[in-house]
Parts: sequence; structure tokens; C-alpha cells
Amino acid sequence: KMRAGAEEAESSGYQRVVLKNASPHQYLKSDLPPRVLEDESARVSAIDLKTFITSCLRSLFGEVGAALNVDVLKYDEETLTALLRVPSRGLVKLWSSLTLQGFYQNRVCAFRVLQVSPFLLALTGNSRDLQLD
Amino acid sequence: MCADLSRTQRNLLVCERSSFLDEKNRVSSQMEQLRFNYKVSVLLPECGSAPSHLESILNSFSSFYLVKQLPLYELLDKDFLQSAVYQGSVYGLSFRTRIDEDNCVALLPNGHLVFSLDKDAFETLGLEGRPSRSNRTSSRYEVTVDLRDGSMAPGGRGYLRLRRALTSHLKLQMDFLISHHPGGGASLRPLLSRCDWSEHRPEVGRRGLSRLVRPALRSCDPHDLLEWIGAVDAAVSRENSSSDFLSTLTCLEPEATVSRAMSVSTCGLLLPQDLQHLVEELRCYLQQAQTDSWASVTVHGFTDSPVSWGDGERDILTGGHDLYNLLMFPDHTYRLHLAAGAQKTCPP
Repeated sequence: KMRAGAEEAESSGYQRVVLKNASPHQYLKSDLPPRVLEDESARVSAIDLKTFITSCLRSLFGEVGAALNVDVLKYDEETLTALLRVPSRGLVKLWSSLTLQGFYQNRVCAFRVLQVSPFLLALTGNSRDLQLD
Repeated sequence: MCADLSRTQRNLLVCERSSFLDEKNRVSSQMEQLRFNYKVSVLLPECGSAPSHLESILNSFSSFYLVKQLPLYELLDKDFLQSAVYQGSVYGLSFRTRIDEDNCVALLPNGHLVFSLDKDAFETLGLEGRPSRSNRTSSRYEVTVDLRDGSMAPGGRGYLRLRRALTSHLKLQMDFLISHHPGGGASLRPLLSRCDWSEHRPEVGRRGLSRLVRPALRSCDPHDLLEWIGAVDAAVSRENSSSDFLSTLTCLEPEATVSRAMSVSTCGLLLPQDLQHLVEELRCYLQQAQTDSWASVTVHGFTDSPVSWGDGERDILTGGHDLYNLLMFPDHTYRLHLAAGAQKTCPP
């Protein structure tokens, strides 16, 4: 009863909390433009992508970098667009290793990072996608 | 000396819990502080289709206008100032201009005309401004002109100086999105009649969802809550385990399963007044719903707007845009989360 009372008091009170740099993860939306892959028929599956990301991290930051827990939240094989999640302390490592990777299986490639945010919710809307023609 | 690779840009999340019946509640004024809204998405549980009242509110959102290659001096036309800037609230934003590369302009409802300019444009225009506060090495400059100020009345010294800058020093021209409350297109006619314009209605999209595992919405951690709502919005699977190869994203502390839900969203230049009507409508809807029901509204700001929350300067070097999420319950309580993409601005 005490707990229910306490919950009631809390729900009717006003509470404001400001959290600074408290997001445990950072989220990236990136793509690998098909035209950049020299062989347009090359298929990249989600597992291929995750393996590739791990190898990018390893080539720049070694085994410690490769141990970073990068999640491929969503991947579209047609557009080669991926939503990635990484712990906040690993964002710079992930972003730099993707940017500096120029080859995928001996083919020239270029990752393009479209959006970065500490909130996954922010990646569901991008005003740069607004088409009005 | 090694750089600290584990640092990220500063991000702020304001978390508020209160009740709409509380005197201190100021949700309306907080929503109004985000001037330029790009997308709103509503998530309703136990719904097979969007309620009719919700559909009608979304379909009644104000139209907005796209003016192609608007010469900016046209915003100083006397008739336009009289009908749109001095009366009601005008919302104008340059379109297809990137805040980190191009010159961006915003016309705010309080009559302020805000320019975010690169070094060359700033020096050529010759207007009074200041370097961007967000990053001193970024070579961006901000100029703010109050069109409702006495010196900016047509014929005044400030007005003539601005007009001369925009007509002879540098003829800035860009695509422009514009809307007006409450006048709509009628108030904008003096401007539209001289330009290449098209009217647009915000586009509504609907998506049915099934079998959502949700956390304890009233008590879960703010970041977990926003991650959950983001995962639902982005259609990201949360049925992973901590040992999965691709993704370890799971619902932390699941409380219940929602058998079906409805996600409705609309995109365009959305006015804060329309969003407030939407929130009021959802509150009425919740009064008739079950006690364990809820409704989530997420609003995204424009990425390339030169102003952030409360007309603060937008930081061009941070990722993300301003957004907020309002999670409402049938007992008039709510959880509000406001996120700023800017370094120096705190949400209201």
C-alpha cells in the first residue's frame, strides 16, 4: 500500500531531469552505395556486413577495436543501407574505421554515413529525405 | 598525445514527468519552442486502424508552400510584411540547403529573419552579425534581423540597408518552405503572387504492427524508452539474444505484449499549433480508452534549420536534429523527453 501511495504521489508531482551525455549507445545510419561497388551484381548479406565491419575495426584498431560490440539493427540488401548501434565510447572508432575502409573483397567501396545520433528515434526521420517534386 | 577516442559530442536529454492537470505543466509552450517540425509519428496500442478523429485531425493539418528560387529581398515586400509578418505567425525555412555547407535562412513567427552564412556570403552582404558560437573555427556566421523592430519598418534605415544588401551586394536566392498561422495561403498571397510556388499537404502514412513486447512505460529508463519507441518506428527486430552475431538489441525488462498497434505519421512543414491540436485530440481519445492504454507522439525537427530550441543557434557540427517524444496515459499523466542536437542549447 505504501508503495502504491508513493507511486501515486510521484505520478501527480512535477519532475524534470536533465541528462547530459548519458546515452549508453550511439546509432549510425550508413550505406554502401551500389554504384561504388565496382561489381554491381555483388550481394552483401547482413552477416557479410557485420563481418566486414569487424574487419574494418580490426585493421584500424586491432583486436581491441574488433571486440567493440557493434549491432546491425536493420539492413536492407537492396539499398545496402544499415542501422548500426555501438556503445558511445566506440562511436569514433567505428565511424573512422568505416570511413577509412576503401576496399570490400578487393572491390573499391566507400561507406557513407548518413545520420548519427545518440537516439535511435532520431534515425526514423530525416528532413533531408523530404521530396516535394 | 593521443586524442580521447571515447568522447562523443555533447548531447542533452530533458526528461519530464507530470500531469496535464498540474499547474506547472507547460507542454504547449515547450512544443511551440520547436518552430520547424518535419515529421510527427503517433503510436497507439490495441488499434487495428487509426481512429477517425485522429485521421481527420491529421488531414486538417495546414498546407505549406514551396517557393522555388525565392530571391530573399522579396521577404521585405511591404504587403508581405503587413499581411504575414506583422500579423499572426509566419514560419519560413530554406529548403534543400545544408546547414554545414550552404547558406540557410529562417523566418520565425516572432518576425526574426535568421541567416546562417559562410564566410564569403557574410562578408559580401556586409550585415551586422557574429561568428557561430558553436565552433569558432567553423567559419560560419549568424545574422539576425528583427523585422518587427522600428528600424526595420519599410523606408527605415535598417530596412533600406538590408534591402540593398540582398539586392546589390549578394542576391541570395534559394528554395523556401513557408506557412502561416492562422492566415494560411491568403496571408502569403503578396509573396506567392510574385514567385514560382506550389502548395503541398503533409503526407500521411499508416502502418499496422503486431505483437509488440513493451517495457514498463511509466518507470523504465528514458534511454531504454526512446530506444524502444525508435525500434518500433524503424521496424527493428528486438527478438535477439545477447549471444546473437548480428544484433544484441533486446527489450530490457519487458512488461507486457501488445497484440497489435497502429503507427501513423505525417511529414512536411508542420506547425506547432497543428501538433497541439493533435495532442489534445489524443488526450480525448485516451479518456475513452482502457486504464492501461497509452499514446506516443514523436516530433522531429528539421536537420538544416538555423535555429534550435527557443530560437537558440543551431550547432552545425553535432549529429542529429531536435526532437521530442510525448508519452501520454489515460489518467492525464505524461512523460516528455526533449532532445537537442545542438551543443549550446538546452531544450525548454
